[in-house]
Amino acid sequence: MAQSNLATALPPARARADKESTLLANLKMIAMKLFGFVFTVFISSVIVFFSRWLVPGDPINFLLRGRSPNPEAIAEVTAIYGLDKPPLEQYWHWITGVLQGDFGRSLQYRQDVTDVILDRLPVTLGLVVMAGLMIAVLGLAAGIAAALFRGSWIDRGIIAGMSALAAIPSFVGAIVLIAIFSIQLGMFPSFGSGEGFGDMIYHLVLPSLALALSFIAVVGRVTRSAMMEEFSREHVEVARSRGITEVAVVFRHVLRNSLGPIMTVSGLLVAGLLVSSAIVEQAFGLAGLGSLLVSSVDRLDFPVVQAIVLIVVTAFVAINTLVDLLGPVVDPRLKAGKGAR
Amino acid sequence: MSIQEAPRKAISRLSLHRTRWGLLISAIFVVVVILAAVFAPLVSPYPPAAVDLLNVNSAPSAAHLLGTDALGRDTLSRMIYGARTALYGPIFVILLSTILGVILGLWAGWAGGIIDAVITRIFDIVLAFPALLLAILAVALFGKGLTAPIIAMSIAYTPYIGRLTRQLVSGEKNRQYVSAYQVQGFAPGWIATRAVMPNVLGVVGSQTTQNFGYVLVELAALSFLGLGIQAPAADWGNMINEGQSALVAGNFLPAMIPSLAVVLIVVAVNSIGGWLSDKLGDPFA
Amino acid sequence: MSLLEIQNLGIDIRVNGLTNRLLHEVSLQINSGESVALVGESGSGKSLTARAVLGLLPAHATTHGSINLDGTEILGASKAALRQVRRTTAAMVFQDPRSSINPVRTLGAHLIEPMLQVPGSNRAELEARAVGLLGSMGLSNPEARMKQYPHELSGGMLQRVMIAGALMNDPQLLICDESTTALDVTTQAAVMELLSTAVRERDMGMLFITHDLALAASIADRTYVLRRGEVQEAGDTRQIFTAPTADYTKKLIASTPSMRSGPAAGVHTLPSTEGAELVLKVENAFKTYHPSGQPAVKAVQDVSISIPAGGGLAIVGESGSGKSTLGRIVAGLEEQDEGTMTVAGGQIETGSAKERRLARASRVQMVFQDPYQSLDSRITPAKALERVLKLHYKLDAKAMKARISELLASVGLEEKHANLLPRKLSGGQRQRVAIAKAMALNPRLLVLDEATSALDVSVQAKVLELVNKLRRENGVAVLFISHDLGIVGEICDELVVVQHGRIVESGPTGQVLNHPAHEYTKSLLASVPRPRWAKDEPVREPADNNSY
Repeated sequence: MAQSNLATALPPARARADKESTLLANLKMIAMKLFGFVFTVFISSVIVFFSRWLVPGDPINFLLRGRSPNPEAIAEVTAIYGLDKPPLEQYWHWITGVLQGDFGRSLQYRQDVTDVILDRLPVTLGLVVMAGLMIAVLGLAAGIAAALFRGSWIDRGIIAGMSALAAIPSFVGAIVLIAIFSIQLGMFPSFGSGEGFGDMIYHLVLPSLALALSFIAVVGRVTRSAMMEEFSREHVEVARSRGITEVAVVFRHVLRNSLGPIMTVSGLLVAGLLVSSAIVEQAFGLAGLGSLLVSSVDRLDFPVVQAIVLIVVTAFVAINTLVDLLGPVVDPRLKAGKGAR
Repeated sequence: MSIQEAPRKAISRLSLHRTRWGLLISAIFVVVVILAAVFAPLVSPYPPAAVDLLNVNSAPSAAHLLGTDALGRDTLSRMIYGARTALYGPIFVILLSTILGVILGLWAGWAGGIIDAVITRIFDIVLAFPALLLAILAVALFGKGLTAPIIAMSIAYTPYIGRLTRQLVSGEKNRQYVSAYQVQGFAPGWIATRAVMPNVLGVVGSQTTQNFGYVLVELAALSFLGLGIQAPAADWGNMINEGQSALVAGNFLPAMIPSLAVVLIVVAVNSIGGWLSDKLGDPFA
Repeated sequence: MSLLEIQNLGIDIRVNGLTNRLLHEVSLQINSGESVALVGESGSGKSLTARAVLGLLPAHATTHGSINLDGTEILGASKAALRQVRRTTAAMVFQDPRSSINPVRTLGAHLIEPMLQVPGSNRAELEARAVGLLGSMGLSNPEARMKQYPHELSGGMLQRVMIAGALMNDPQLLICDESTTALDVTTQAAVMELLSTAVRERDMGMLFITHDLALAASIADRTYVLRRGEVQEAGDTRQIFTAPTADYTKKLIASTPSMRSGPAAGVHTLPSTEGAELVLKVENAFKTYHPSGQPAVKAVQDVSISIPAGGGLAIVGESGSGKSTLGRIVAGLEEQDEGTMTVAGGQIETGSAKERRLARASRVQMVFQDPYQSLDSRITPAKALERVLKLHYKLDAKAMKARISELLASVGLEEKHANLLPRKLSGGQRQRVAIAKAMALNPRLLVLDEATSALDVSVQAKVLELVNKLRRENGVAVLFISHDLGIVGEICDELVVVQHGRIVESGPTGQVLNHPAHEYTKSLLASVPRPRWAKDEPVREPADNNSY
């Protein structure tokens, strides 16, 4: 008697309506997240563009700091940036250009910013991708191994090793790697990005390792702690109580359920990865985006700075939006629409 | 977009606080660095910029305990003066970001609704700018030095404290003890500041010491990039940068000593922070 | 030979170098087809015993004695042997179904996973069996359920899935560890029904672990009473409950209202409240919540209640019935959308915000469910009382001290408790502090929101006693919010039953409990677990003489 009022059957029509509304709710959630992405990037572009107005004084003087402003140069800069127009119009001019891939003119190279950036992009991409691979493979492996052998000497060793790695900032890592592998052992070059693809990979081994070191430790520790937390959940004990093998418990219940936090943290690491690449490029004399950013700040080339800051912010926000969108795939509880209760 | 709260605890760096000796050594190291920074003119054997051209790239000796760099400057003296900028920047950033973050986070978490939504959105946008990137942008705008990066980093770190505070406060707000205060007629403002805030400050405090390490490393990185405090002033970051040329010449000390100092001070501060967070409660427990 | 034979089981756990003995020489037998209850309060070691049967002990536990399950010695068994036992001999249903099933995998995956690992198993066959079991558990649309995730089902439905999962391998022994504790009363009754049917039909042995004596009496042939790791009493269930020999068992039974007498116990003799003025009058109150992205929740719909000075009104309902919302409205924590509320003779609408707040507080006070959460963890009882008194009264230091002592004494706390932080106090002591804080303002009305349901039964009885004492001595009226029909008779003259935010029945407690008019009240009453030997049991057990 009491059974029937608890588990009332859904009539098929309502079930279908529920399915449709769930689909709609999912689309709505995706749309909301994409809107959030566009909104954040838009506000960031406003901040990046109008930050110039924080500096008191004439924008022409600001842009041409450190250069002898002859009248032609002033006229050129004024024309390119529309400095004689009202600020909102200047922003509109800039942002429409950016959307078409035009970031303006570099003051130090007297080239289009876009060309300068495209020139430097491969090195940075190669660096970040190689470091990313090292982080994913080594970090996950270390974390899983530590969680599997939790409490044993393997676990303690991995924790100690990762803790030590995590304490090493990338510039210190770079210095130490150069001292050992370039200068003492002479195994890898300490400067430049080489000629051709294979040579570039070779030249990028030490830099990407320097970049990856502390992040390997972070991913390893997040993996371990997410898995440890999952190990303490009751459903894991229930799985064991049902005679499921330990291997299946570890992979299907523990690691599977830990993917969410691991992905979230990895997304956040991208910011550090992109910014730290500037440090590593500087240390290894690589001609990438990061070293371009530093030299542009150094040489007062503000248009390039603006462009790189906006690109880094956009890349970071885009990756985290992607992680956010993947959330429901990894954890069905994050799906929109509660479904039939 | 929402950049979710990272399990910061998992990201935290090496900490020695679980052993009594580790904690003691950490505390002693921090005190020594603070004393060296405060009394730099008294304890430093040479002025930090004094050049000894007869002793360039020299190994440690009685005259130069930690050797000299490529310009013949005494590494120990530069380390002692460098401790000043190493501590000065993070202390300012931590103070500013903690005050701002606690105020905004408490406000958002307690008020909820539209205020919460607006503050959270602002935090999200600031979080889209990595701290070091914002500091570099500040240098591009206002020129090299410490002031602009310190303000930029303070802004960049505010959301970390703010979101933590907000999360803790909105959790506390639904606890029954808050309802109990309400039923007894206490004013909302009183409950927020006198009952809820003290209950979250401990956790925020331990997060703050974690941030100290991050800020110190990031300011050193800025200086390593040549965008921080300028030569001839001594700073650990630019010492590592300058030491790189000595490195190629086979003299490791000028780069290695400041590198080691950065690593050690971060580990030491984190150990104290870890001890504090064990004492004051863990946000994710 | 019995199905399960536990002999002189002892379990020690080492924590920080200290050895704690959690079980002392526990012996227990279960025969095939027999249901055995293991009852005890929290910390008695009953769950540990259940887990030990499946070899699920923490790594730092040491054991002695013997657990023989269908011919296999569990203590010291190999991993493979344990897996075998868990897959084929015994299955366990845990307390909280929501945390027992992996939230990111489908229910189908949960159901078939263990058997799928057995060599030679066939996925389609297992799925068909799982669908059949889900159907027999009373779940609609079993095929569709296989593809659903746990968060899409209610707690009661999930527990049915858990039971189906336990039955997948046709175990000979079913272990239920507080399996119905987290469920509402009517759901609990339905799940109990399922369990007893499954055990009977499959001729399984059952080990039923619970803190609820009435529940044990409703299902078990034999009962073991456990306290601090030791068996206090064991034997035929009826024998134990009707003629207990151990003092502890007697005390437990005395603390359990529904065991003490039949349902609808006589109402306590309290001062007559006829003709007294009303301390609370709520008329046609409505409250609707609008959670973002979800349908609106009509928590309170057209509710009218009143309480005379010194009276006692109970509001009874299951979770989601809106009873707590009503309590929060009365205490001023929420505002009703519509309707009027008059407290202690006058509406509190004049004066500044502060005056209104204080006026309201001095008339209505509230005690919350969870004493571990309702006290500010950094404040000692004395300090907490001082804060409240300072806010409302101007007392000099001496008067303040005297008043604090008086209040603590009135709730049965001693001076030594005054300056201890809450974490040093027991649950019962904390709840006394909460009551002292409420009584500090001499309110006309005390709202008790499930104020005893987080406490162990023996503590619960004492706290109820305290409330009755305060009613007699201070003439404070009580609004008692509870899910437990068994205890409302202890404390309230009038009773209101709520369902889906509406009052379905109201009247004098005795009358409602003895002669319920509404179907829902009847089903609530029928859901109160009753001893299987009780004569007035019409529904549950059709003649059941083949137990032994």
